[in-house]
Amino acid sequence: MPLTGFSRFSVFWLALLTPSWVWAQQPFSGVTESVNKRMVKLFGSGGYARLANYGTGILVSPEGHILTVASHLLDTPELRVHLYDGRRYDARVLVVEPQLDAALLKINNLEGEVPYFDVAKAAQAPLAQPGDWVLAFSNQFRIATRDEPMSVQRGVIAAYSKLHGRRGIFEAPYTGEVYVVDAITNNPGAAGGALTTRKGELLGVLGKELRNTLSDTWMNYAVPIQALATFVEEGMAGRYKPKEKPKVVAEGGAYHGIILVPDVVERTPPFIEDVIPGSPAAKAGLKPDDLIVYIDGERVGSIKTFQNMMATFKPGTTVQMEVQRVIDRQTKTEKLITVKLELAEPVAKTPPRK
Amino acid sequence: MRGCSSFAVVRLLRLGALLGAFGLLGLVVPRQLPAADDDELNAAQEQAMKAAVRKVAPCVVQIETTGGTELISGGRIRKGVGPTTGLIVSSDGYIISSAFNFANRPSAVHVSVPGRPTREVARIVATDTTRMLTLLKIAATGLPVPVAAPKSSMQVGQWALALGRTLDPNVEHPPSVSVGIISALGRIWGKAIQTDAKVSPVNYGGPLIDIRGRVLGVLVPASPQGQDETAGVEWYDSGIGFAIPLEDINAVLPRLKEGKDLKRGLLGITPRSGDLYSAPPVVGTVAPDSAAAKAGIQPGDVIIEVDGQPVTRHAQLLHLLGGKYEGDVISLKVRRGKEEIKFDNLVLSGTVKVMAHGFLGVLPVRDDPELGEEVRYVFPKSPADKAGLKPGDRIMKIGPDAKQLRPFSGRDELTGLLNTLSPGAKLKVEVIRKDGKKTETLDVVLDQVPDVVPDALPERASAQKALAPRKRGGPKLPAIDKKERPEPPGKDDKNEEAKEENKAAKKPEIGLRKRSSPSQDREYWLYVPENYDPNISHALVVWLHPAGRFGQKPEDILDLWSEACQQHHLILLGPKSENETGWTASESEAVLQAVQEVLGQYTIDRQRIVAHGMGVGGQLAFYLGFHARDLIRGVATTAAVLTSQPKDNILHQRLSFFIVAGQKDPLVKEIADSKAKLVERKFPVIYREIPDKGHEYLDGTTLKELIRWIDSLDRQ
Repeated sequence: MPLTGFSRFSVFWLALLTPSWVWAQQPFSGVTESVNKRMVKLFGSGGYARLANYGTGILVSPEGHILTVASHLLDTPELRVHLYDGRRYDARVLVVEPQLDAALLKINNLEGEVPYFDVAKAAQAPLAQPGDWVLAFSNQFRIATRDEPMSVQRGVIAAYSKLHGRRGIFEAPYTGEVYVVDAITNNPGAAGGALTTRKGELLGVLGKELRNTLSDTWMNYAVPIQALATFVEEGMAGRYKPKEKPKVVAEGGAYHGIILVPDVVERTPPFIEDVIPGSPAAKAGLKPDDLIVYIDGERVGSIKTFQNMMATFKPGTTVQMEVQRVIDRQTKTEKLITVKLELAEPVAKTPPRK
Repeated sequence: MRGCSSFAVVRLLRLGALLGAFGLLGLVVPRQLPAADDDELNAAQEQAMKAAVRKVAPCVVQIETTGGTELISGGRIRKGVGPTTGLIVSSDGYIISSAFNFANRPSAVHVSVPGRPTREVARIVATDTTRMLTLLKIAATGLPVPVAAPKSSMQVGQWALALGRTLDPNVEHPPSVSVGIISALGRIWGKAIQTDAKVSPVNYGGPLIDIRGRVLGVLVPASPQGQDETAGVEWYDSGIGFAIPLEDINAVLPRLKEGKDLKRGLLGITPRSGDLYSAPPVVGTVAPDSAAAKAGIQPGDVIIEVDGQPVTRHAQLLHLLGGKYEGDVISLKVRRGKEEIKFDNLVLSGTVKVMAHGFLGVLPVRDDPELGEEVRYVFPKSPADKAGLKPGDRIMKIGPDAKQLRPFSGRDELTGLLNTLSPGAKLKVEVIRKDGKKTETLDVVLDQVPDVVPDALPERASAQKALAPRKRGGPKLPAIDKKERPEPPGKDDKNEEAKEENKAAKKPEIGLRKRSSPSQDREYWLYVPENYDPNISHALVVWLHPAGRFGQKPEDILDLWSEACQQHHLILLGPKSENETGWTASESEAVLQAVQEVLGQYTIDRQRIVAHGMGVGGQLAFYLGFHARDLIRGVATTAAVLTSQPKDNILHQRLSFFIVAGQKDPLVKEIADSKAKLVERKFPVIYREIPDKGHEYLDGTTLKELIRWIDSLDRQ
């Protein structure tokens, strides 16, 4: 809706020419100006191998605290900040939280105060809902320097869901829920930008460029401000301690007694070849030729995933398994059957064959 | 935004009082619109959109699959692991979705329906291979069915929302939404609605809805060129998305429910001109046993009506036939000479025979702006040889009979005319003899393109006037006045000439150059022979190195090629793979970008752009051949197996193969099989086995033969 930059007067004349255009106008200009004043352009390390040496940040205190994402950009003693009015400062990194993919910076020797977003207040607002109209502000592609304004994009919240970054290639450091946006917001340099309501209220911080494993597409997302409020508050007070990375529990010891078909292709479907008599699987009523489809409601899809999922359960756990079974061979009718599988202590390294 | 304003009147009566006079009645009230009311309008639209989503949400199901392959579309696309989307189309358990969601051939499919506690096992009933839809069936009754928006009510500019079930695992939540408008109607040869809402694997198979909560269509990847279930995925989230109208889906539902896959209905003709948009729809070829052949349609017929609708361009014909299925019945009216003939009850077929190119047996002298074409070489025992054509003769006109002789201007135009002719076609050729300058008309019957490379070719290959404006003569011909696209890519056009002059004005770089692509992240090298002359069109050889040590450094290849580059006017381009271990198909884009850059800077012969690769590089060469058909004319591989199913020969986009295997290469049998696969698809293929060679590069003799093959690639 391209009328943002037009004056009311020109809208009036346009109305004369194409009356129905009036409906399309969107009064975002006041909002964008107010948000822009509370955003900064960042310049740091990068500039090689597809890594941008520019980024975006959000002012979160009158003294010049900046919230942005944790990235290679900050790996430099010469981090530069451009304010909305063109003033340039050096900045330093106060604290980085890899698990939130967030960093808190502070402008060095700031003169006077700056407009800012009150993160604590923003975090008290309810979460935005799918379908809500939003605006995204960032310095993507380094289109702006000094006093030039950020790029503003309009979109809606497409979904509020967990990040599924493709592991091994771009592992998503932040594993919580995010706002997925239907505008193409996550471009080079956009990370650290602001996602706001159409009235300019801060909703979240734009993330990095990330491919979604669910759909194998690039994701456009922002981390909700609610997830970042404590980090910002404690970080500004100098109290924040980065979290320990939780250890992945991979015991793989629990015994189920399911023998699957050989894992021969990339996504071999987890068909049960055999069930060891007397094993938890046999007790649960699993049968050869059952196809394991869901474990505790999560789709399995392949033998590899099955093994990864089972490795996380300890003996004594009861898991709910949904299997597809042919219930009438003549009509080839298949049904999903739910069973409860109580995992046991491992009995021997190689379970005896029938 | 008429669609949305008419909605707004319904929904926003209160605001309507304020704005109605302003907007719809055309009475312009000269006063400012208070900001608060703008907000109210936005809020109301936002609410209306959410309400529309809520209305359709119960019909939008989540689909999960088990098994299937990781990569699809010949390894080009990774299939996401997440759930996909479907739309309920009848209350007794039928669900329509995008065929893309099943392109990895999963072994089991499950569906979650909002409001139902259990997931259901789904059966794939049938696939519509022309609209790229798959019908599923679950054992359920009493399902909610969405309301289809009538096609007649759709307007470009109205709101359109794309819904999907990939992102949120919970089907009790609203589906994901992307907001846009209808960008165009009748796209993809009349089959699809275009929208600027973000369409991607996140919502393929989901509905595109209007602001009243009616379903406009079902989201699919689509491309006007491609035909498989993944064509158009590269446009995901680009603002160019497609949906198949639900009305059309409902119409074909009874046929899909029968469980038979639906194929596109084919008439079995190709157009005479490569220009679909400005040339009249003259029949170029008629495939044997096709609907057109059975009805008695002949090459040269001009199609003037389809199902009673007049057509004047081939593109219109495609629009009218694009949505037809195998077995559909159509009627045609054609003009043959002065007669108009009507054909009723043509039953479209699902497949047609692939056709080979007809071969006259000459090599042209290139870069000649004069009318007609000078013969550089006559292939022994070819139709041209049998008819007595000699090097130095100048072909001036060709045609099916003496009355329809047609003049042409240069090699590319003659190739374009010959493109529509298959082996066995009878032709009259008017020539001016080299000796005595006498004009004669010869009779020829076209043959197959032979699988031999001439032992020696005349040195004089170019008239060295590539930049000179092309001369025109004879009657104005609509097919050649406009720039032909995509083939033949001649330099007929004024812009093209201006561009050529620019190229001459700027001194081109010669020798070995290392470069990086405009996006800075890809490297390639370029070798332009020292004797480069912009007035001579050069063949372009794109060298795609194998994995391992050989061929990554330019010297490896230049030591063998540089002399030939000078002598035969070749330019070598050497892109570098991202990983040492070889190429992935997705890198083809960067390679093509480099090719485009070279095309813009040097005089390149568009009929002789060759992808040449070894090992995995050879596999990429095959891939480029099939996927960049507007550009690549030759594929030359060594020690490379054709792994994917080859596409068919296309008359307007010539493509030839030169395949080499070492006899001691462990893959020699598979490589030899590649030849058979390609010949089956009617491509001209040269196949050479080198004795005592293993998995290695070409020996001297075969390399010389390859260079002669490249020199003769514009054979006609």
